[in-house]
Amino acid sequence: MVALSVAAVLAVFLLYTSLAGGGTPSLAPSELHGRAGEVSLAGKVVGPVTGDAHAGGLHFRLRDIKGTSRETVAVVYAGSVPDLFRVGRDVVVEGRLRNGTFEAKRDSLVTKCPSKYAPKKSA
Amino acid sequence: MAELGRAALVVTLGLSLYALAAGAAAAHLRRRRLAASAQNALLAAFVSTAIAAAVLFAAFARDDFSFVTVAQTSSRTLPFGYSLSAFWGGQAGSLLLWLLLLTAYGAAAVLLNRRRARDLVVWVVPVLGAISVFFSFLIVAVASPFHTQVAPADGAGLNPSLQNPYMLAHPPFLYLGYVGLAVPFAFAMGALLSGRTDERWLVATRRWTLFAWACLGIGQLLGAHWAYKEVGWGGYYAWDPVENAALMPWLASTAFLHSVMIQEKRGMLKVWNVVLVILAFSLSLFGTFLTRSGVLNSIHSFTESSIGPWFLGFITAVAAASLALVFARLPLLRAKTKLESLVSREATFLYNNLLLVALTLTILWGVAWPILSEAVRGESVVVGRPYYDFFLRIFGLPLLLLMGIGPLVAWRRASLRGLLKTFAWPFGVALLAGTGLLALGAGSSIPGLVAYSFSVFVLASIALEFGRGTRARRSLSGGSWPRAFSDLIARNRRRYGGYVVHAAIVMLALGIAGSSAYDSVKEAKLRPGQSMAIGDYTLAYRRLVERPAANATEVRAVLDVRRGGERLGTLEAGKNAYTVEQQVSNEVAIRSDYVTGEDLFVIAEQIDADGAVYFRVFVKPLVNLIWLAGIVFVLGSLVALWPDAREERRLALRYFEAGLPAAE
Amino acid sequence: MTALAVALAAAVAAACVVAVALPFLREPSARADALAEPDERARLRLSLAEARDRALIALKELEFDHRTGKVSDEDYRALVGPLRREAADALRGLEDGAR
Repeated sequence: MVALSVAAVLAVFLLYTSLAGGGTPSLAPSELHGRAGEVSLAGKVVGPVTGDAHAGGLHFRLRDIKGTSRETVAVVYAGSVPDLFRVGRDVVVEGRLRNGTFEAKRDSLVTKCPSKYAPKKSA
Repeated sequence: MAELGRAALVVTLGLSLYALAAGAAAAHLRRRRLAASAQNALLAAFVSTAIAAAVLFAAFARDDFSFVTVAQTSSRTLPFGYSLSAFWGGQAGSLLLWLLLLTAYGAAAVLLNRRRARDLVVWVVPVLGAISVFFSFLIVAVASPFHTQVAPADGAGLNPSLQNPYMLAHPPFLYLGYVGLAVPFAFAMGALLSGRTDERWLVATRRWTLFAWACLGIGQLLGAHWAYKEVGWGGYYAWDPVENAALMPWLASTAFLHSVMIQEKRGMLKVWNVVLVILAFSLSLFGTFLTRSGVLNSIHSFTESSIGPWFLGFITAVAAASLALVFARLPLLRAKTKLESLVSREATFLYNNLLLVALTLTILWGVAWPILSEAVRGESVVVGRPYYDFFLRIFGLPLLLLMGIGPLVAWRRASLRGLLKTFAWPFGVALLAGTGLLALGAGSSIPGLVAYSFSVFVLASIALEFGRGTRARRSLSGGSWPRAFSDLIARNRRRYGGYVVHAAIVMLALGIAGSSAYDSVKEAKLRPGQSMAIGDYTLAYRRLVERPAANATEVRAVLDVRRGGERLGTLEAGKNAYTVEQQVSNEVAIRSDYVTGEDLFVIAEQIDADGAVYFRVFVKPLVNLIWLAGIVFVLGSLVALWPDAREERRLALRYFEAGLPAAE
Repeated sequence: MTALAVALAAAVAAACVVAVALPFLREPSARADALAEPDERARLRLSLAEARDRALIALKELEFDHRTGKVSDEDYRALVGPLRREAADALRGLEDGAR
C-alpha cells in the first residue's frame, strides 16, 4: 500500500512539473542574450537609478555579481521597492527581455542581504 | 578572558571525543566503569560549554569589542536585552548556542534514563558524543567566537530589524527544536546499536520529541509574526529556503509523533519510525546548514562561510551511517502485526504520515533543485510560490480533513456503518457551513472554501470527541460536568492535548486560508487631504510627520481610518532612517480588528519630497487567528507534555516485573 | 587578565579530567566490571509486559470508545473477543515466564 501511495505522489509531482515547469531559470546579465520567455535575473545594481517605480517605472542597470563581465542590462521596473535597494546591492528580479531592455514583472524585485545576520525581504 | 573561552571549548571537544571513543568501547566490551566514565564526560561537556557561553555573554554584556564577534554584531547603543540577540546573531555565537543546547539536552537525557535504560544509554552516549564532536570541532577550528582583535571604538551594531522581541526569541526556540531532535535520534541509534527492539527508546524520548517539536513550531510562528509586523511586505511566509529549513524538520517530526503511536499501540511500523527520526534529525541539521552557510542564492542568504562543506559532509555521514545501521538491523525490526483494515485509526495515521512526508519531500525538492540545477546544468533556477502553493493544497487539504477523521475512527477496525453514524453530525455541520459560506461569497476561492469547510468539520469532530468523552466519564464516575471534563483530560492527556493542538492547527488553517484566499489589496498615490477606499474601509491621508528617535529619524504618514460611518482611529505608516547603520526600514501600520480577526495593513511604499505618498493597503481576513493559534498550540502541547502519575506507575510496574530498575 | 584566564582554564580542565576519571578513582580494582544489562530472560519479560500493557490499554480504550459511541455495538462485539484473548495470552506468558 505504501508503494502505491509513493507512486501516486510521484505521479502528481511529475504531472505538475511537466505542466508548470521546474522553476524559472535564474540568469546573470551576461547570460541574458537573446533569451526569450520569463526568466529570473540576478545582478548587482549599477547606477544611475532614475524614474519612479510607482509612476512610469524605475530605470537602472544590472551587471554580473560574480565574474569579470562588464556587461550591463537595462531594467525597467514597476512595483514595490525593497528598503535595501541601492546602487551596489545584489538583487533578483523576474521578467523578460524585450528589445534590449529587461521588462520586469511587477513587484518581483527582491534584494539579497550582503553580510550580516539580517534576513531581509520585500516582495 | 577569550583564552578561557577558547580553552573551555577545547575541553568540550576533548570530552566529546572521549565520550565517543570510550563510550563506544565501553558499550562494545561491556565495561561498567568505562561506561560511567563516558557518561561523566558528556555531563562535564555541558559544564565546559556553559563556561564558554558565559565568557562570550559577559563580553557582550560589557561591550568588549576586542572580541571580533561582539564587534561585528553589537554596539554601545544597543539595548542590553538585544545583546542576547547579537550573541546568537553572529555565526560563531549561534553555533555555540547549538553546542550549548546539545550538551544540555544530552546531559539531561542521559541523567534521566541511565538506570532504567542502562543498556540503551550505554550506546546513546557515543552517538551524542559524535554529534558533539562535530559541533565543537567546528567551533574550535573553523568558526571560533573567541577570535580577538584590537578593539575598535564601537561595534558595527545589530541590524535594526532584528531589534525586537520576536527576533530575540525566534532563534532560541528554533534551536531548542532543532537540537532537541538529536535526543530521539540518539536513542533510536542506541536502540539499534544495542539490538534492543523493545519500546523503551520510544517511551524515554516521547516527551523530548514533543517538546522539541512544540518549540520548533513556536519558533516558526515567531518568525512569521516578525516577518509580518517588522519586515512588512504584507505577508508572513514566503517559502524562502530559510523558512522552509525549519518547516521541513517540523513536518517530519509531526509525522513521527503520529507514527510512534502506532508502534506503541500495535507494535507496527518500527522501520518506518526509525527512518522518520533519521529524516527529521537530518533535516534539522540541513536546516541549520541552510541558514548558516551562504549555500543558497536566497534572499535570506548569509555570508558565504567556511562551515558549509563541513556541514554537508556531516549530514551525509549521519544519514549514510544511520541508514546503514537500520539496514543491518532490519531482521530485528520486522513486525509481527499487520494492518488489519484500511479503515482504522492506524490506517488514517498512515495516510497522515504519507501526506506529511510527501509534503516535506516536495518542499525539500523545491529547496534543493536550484542548487542541484546549478551544479549539474550550470544554470540556476528559481522555484516560486506557485510550486509550493500547489503542493500545500494538494497535500495539506487532505491532511486537514484527516485531522477530523482520525479521532473518530477506532483502532484496528471500523465498520463503515458505524463510521457513517459517527460522521453524520460533523459532516452535516460542515456541509451547512460550506453552503452558508458559499452564499456569503466564499466561492471566489475554491481552495479557500474547501479549507473553511474542512476546518469546520475538524472542529465539529473535536467538539464531538470532547462532548462524548465528558458525558461518558460522567456516567462512569458521576460528579459535575466540569469535573468530568477535567477528569477526562487528566486520564488521557496525550489524546486530549493532541485534540487541542489539532484545534490550533485548524485555526492556523483558517487564518492562512482567510488571509491568502480572501484578501484584497489596493494601491494609490495620495497627497495630504486625499483618501482611498478598500473593502469597507476609507483611509484619509492627513499629513506627514518627521520625528527623531534614539537611533533613527522616523517619518510617518498619518491616516484617519473610517469604516462605514464610524471613525476607527489613526494609523501611522512610514519609514525609519537609521543613522549608525545607514539603513532605511519599512514601518507598517496594522489595525487589528479583534472581533472579526481581520487586519488592515498599510505600507507607505514611497514617500516623495513633496509629501505625496504611495500607499499599498491590504485587508487580510482572519489573519489574527494565526497568532491566536500559537497560544492554543502552546496550551495543547503543555497538556500533552504534562507528567502523568498513572502512566509513571504503570511503567514502574512494567520495569519492576522485568527486573529492571523501576525508577531513575 | 590573561594569567587569571589561564589559571581558570587549567582549573576547568583539571575538574573535567577528575570527573571523567571518577569511576576509576572510586573503584581502583573492581571485582565486577561487567555492565549490568538485562539478560535474555529480563528482556523476554519486558517484551511480554509490553504486550500485556498494550492489550490491557487497548481493552480499556475499546470499552471507553464503546461507551462514547465511537465503536458501535456490533463492532464492539467483534473486537472485544480477540482483544481479551490477546490480553489473557500475554498475562499467561508472563506468569509462565515467572516460573
